[in-house]
Amino acid sequence: MAKYAMVLDYKNCINCKACEVACKEENGVLLGEHYHRIWVGVNPIKGVYPDLSIASNAFYPSQCQHCENAPCQDVCPTQATHYDENGVVQVDESKCILCSYCMVACPYDARYVDERSMTIDKCSFCSDTRLARGLTSTACQATCPTKVRVFGDISDPTSEISMILKTREYFTLKASLGTEPKLFYLK
Amino acid sequence: MEIEISRRRFLQGSVALSVIAASESVSFAEKNDTKSNIISSYGISKTSKDGFSVPTLCEICVNKCALLARVENGVVTKLDPNPYFPKSKNMLCPRGNAGIQALYDPDRLKFPLIRDGQRGSGKFKRVTWDEAYTYINEKMVKILDEEKDNRSTFLFCAGEGMAEETFKTFYQVFGSSNWLNHASLCLQTVTSAYGLTLGAYPQADFENATYVIMAGANRAEAIVTPDTMDLFKRTEGRGAKLVYVDPIFTNTAAKADQWLAIKPGTDLAFVLALTYVVLSEKLYNESYVTENFNDFEAYQEHILSHHYTPQWAEKITGISAATIEQVAREFMQHAPQSIYYPGRRSTFARSDFQLRRAMAIFQALGGGIDIKGGLVFGKGLGLSAHEEVTPIYANSKARAIKKKEQVTKGQAGYEDCAIVSGGGSWIGWRNRFLEGKMPYKVRGMFVYKHNPVLNMPNTAKTIEMLQKMDLVVTIDTMPSDTVMYADVVLPECTYLERTDPVKTFGGVEPSIAQRNKVIEPMFESKPVLEIMRGLSAKISKPLFEVAQKYDEDIASSIEDSSYDEVYAEFDLTKPFTSSQEALNEHAVAKYPDAVKSLKEKGVYYPEMQTFFKQLSANTYQHYPEKAKAYTVNAQKPKTSSKKVECNLANLADKGVDAMPTWKDDFEFIVPEGKFRLITGRHAQFTQSGTGNNAMLRELISENYIWINQGVATKKGISFGDKIEVSSTTGKTVLKAYPTEKIGPNMVFFIHGFGSESKGLSLAYRRGGNDNAVIEDKIEPVYGASVMHETNVTLRKV
Repeated sequence: MAKYAMVLDYKNCINCKACEVACKEENGVLLGEHYHRIWVGVNPIKGVYPDLSIASNAFYPSQCQHCENAPCQDVCPTQATHYDENGVVQVDESKCILCSYCMVACPYDARYVDERSMTIDKCSFCSDTRLARGLTSTACQATCPTKVRVFGDISDPTSEISMILKTREYFTLKASLGTEPKLFYLK
Repeated sequence: MEIEISRRRFLQGSVALSVIAASESVSFAEKNDTKSNIISSYGISKTSKDGFSVPTLCEICVNKCALLARVENGVVTKLDPNPYFPKSKNMLCPRGNAGIQALYDPDRLKFPLIRDGQRGSGKFKRVTWDEAYTYINEKMVKILDEEKDNRSTFLFCAGEGMAEETFKTFYQVFGSSNWLNHASLCLQTVTSAYGLTLGAYPQADFENATYVIMAGANRAEAIVTPDTMDLFKRTEGRGAKLVYVDPIFTNTAAKADQWLAIKPGTDLAFVLALTYVVLSEKLYNESYVTENFNDFEAYQEHILSHHYTPQWAEKITGISAATIEQVAREFMQHAPQSIYYPGRRSTFARSDFQLRRAMAIFQALGGGIDIKGGLVFGKGLGLSAHEEVTPIYANSKARAIKKKEQVTKGQAGYEDCAIVSGGGSWIGWRNRFLEGKMPYKVRGMFVYKHNPVLNMPNTAKTIEMLQKMDLVVTIDTMPSDTVMYADVVLPECTYLERTDPVKTFGGVEPSIAQRNKVIEPMFESKPVLEIMRGLSAKISKPLFEVAQKYDEDIASSIEDSSYDEVYAEFDLTKPFTSSQEALNEHAVAKYPDAVKSLKEKGVYYPEMQTFFKQLSANTYQHYPEKAKAYTVNAQKPKTSSKKVECNLANLADKGVDAMPTWKDDFEFIVPEGKFRLITGRHAQFTQSGTGNNAMLRELISENYIWINQGVATKKGISFGDKIEVSSTTGKTVLKAYPTEKIGPNMVFFIHGFGSESKGLSLAYRRGGNDNAVIEDKIEPVYGASVMHETNVTLRKV
């Protein structure tokens, strides 16, 4: 049993969206811009030309936070949303009734309706694609030009991700909500 | 910290807003409705473990990044980065990831076609390969007979690509002198200026530079490998200070330490002022300059006596004198680990050649040449050449360039420009063709993987040129705007369906890489090598008969020896008989194990087995630090004199300034009420080549015109309003994106949209075509297209 998590060296992100495309191709996410499991958030720029604040225009790659205390799992009436043996928040297609409580509960807006499987879909850390094939990386990590992401097992103290979290400062998104995300953004 | 975490997308100028439209029905041959089947059939195969991977090289842009194509049940299901390749390291950009959509694009050219209506009508009929070759043969024989075997009556033009050389071989054995490629629409001035000044177009060592000036090269969006990956891991206080110079605030600006909003087209004044500061304050590397410069004193005198002061440049560039002084001083403090990035981009202003010369000399003043952290030449791994066939046609005329009738020393010798390069001046050539100023008739053209209708300024003129040709043959994978004007369309297979000529990649970490066929060509498409094989087999003898008719030497040679012996010298089929795989094996024969490594790993370099190893989840070692080729020429430039050439007197004879000089007419006036048009690139799009890619279309479905927020407010323009952009050249319509990221007297939109090809169901009439509006101004030295010297007016429609 592993405890999968991800660190994001988000300062590397150039907002090229290679991760979004790799995720779609790997996981068979439907074509259409409303269907995506991961995305790059961009803050609108501040200032008046040419006195613009460079820092205001930062890029934040994001996806399901795989919270240890996931609000979406709490509210799911059919237990379609559940934790797998590796601590990954998963959705059981056969149990999902499209009530969309999870969409409302998720503070990270990480869920969307997949009209093909009729599931409220989300990032699965490539569990049923890459991990199932024996790989230990996600599509978004592997493809990234500037290597924003490192995926790995935080229950293994010797893993690369554990070593990064020991040596680098980081933060999580909306930490005050107590969701305990397993996506760690490096300062 | 307030962080945007929503999946909602912020508007980035040309962001996608609408869902992909259902494909429209068009009068284009053989529509089918397999799109949804194909996409879902590979998308759903989530857990297949029976797949295998083929190492190959991407062709969605020019970078040639290495990838592993996963194949399941004969279908390519995923493209992953191939870590063996030092150039692309271990990554695949959004376009590279979307390559499967190019392979399975339902609009692909599937069968040979012959025009079946007015030229440009988009009406074609499906024919067999033999019928297509026969049609071409009959037309060519007729035209060549009428033109008395002047082979140059046919123009050959090609876009950049690994199989371009195969097509160029056809051009060479055919015997024409008219070859035009993308260089004059792209990087001609930068490569030539660095070549003349430093002896080569260098690479930038972004892994080790501590200070970078990047001007007009938007590397966060116009991705170049490995530059983009190396640089942005080290910005934001993590090793490399980035000063970004660009009139608009791009994603690269967002990653910079300092953004200098320069007035468009004034970079030369900026560099001259940086040079002035360095020379007047004696900040340059004195020992380097003493040893490695030719005519330094003359250049110093030139810069100082022209008073290219920061105060002078402030008025021209809009960048404050204090900032220019600061950047010049910082650059030299960091030298030689500082880089003024040469860039790889099109020519923006008429001063471009001199700009690049000034940049190269400025770089050298700090000694950052052929050294770790500076500009580097790197090592190359040679390939064995193939035997060439070079028939000589007595009646083939020289390249259709027009020499001036009376040339005096100190003036350009040609009508179009001062120097004619191998790739020629595309718009110079086209315009003379239209103006009837050709030295002889050019009646036919072959177009390979090239889309001049959308790719060069003044779309209307390019269409007019195509309309005037007696024969237009296009070889392409997609029914581009240019293909619509063809008489014969020959469908090339995509890059995932063919093995291309093996290629060597020089640099700090040199390697050889090969594009390997992943799956068999779909439909009736073929690699260009096979197309050339089939076509040459059809036309070789009939064309030889024409040559024989007009060349007495051939007739007498036949009398002296035999028909077969003489024909053998003119046999067009010869270069195309071997398979690409066999040709590649020959090219790398001198390297043991290269063939096997290229097949299994896609990449080869001699020490790969011992050097290559994984260092972490994301990083690999290709060469250990000690084996990297940072310095290959004792830190000297690669010119024949081994000196930095400040003063090119031989250029002065041709009317080109021997030293970079600012001319008053470089200043571009934007009249009240008009806007200077700027174009550029985008990370999710490659020029006009990816317009129909279903995956990329959802990231960016159309381009938007950036208009300064204050100007838009005054003009009552809101986001999404349709704007007609017009110039003396023409008009295009696209939607508005008011933003503070652009100045008040300019507008910007990315290139590659506004296709008028009905064969492209997703790209058709999406967004605006910049080249419908850009005026066809010619850069004076190499005849490159000047992209950023057009004033436009805006009208809400």
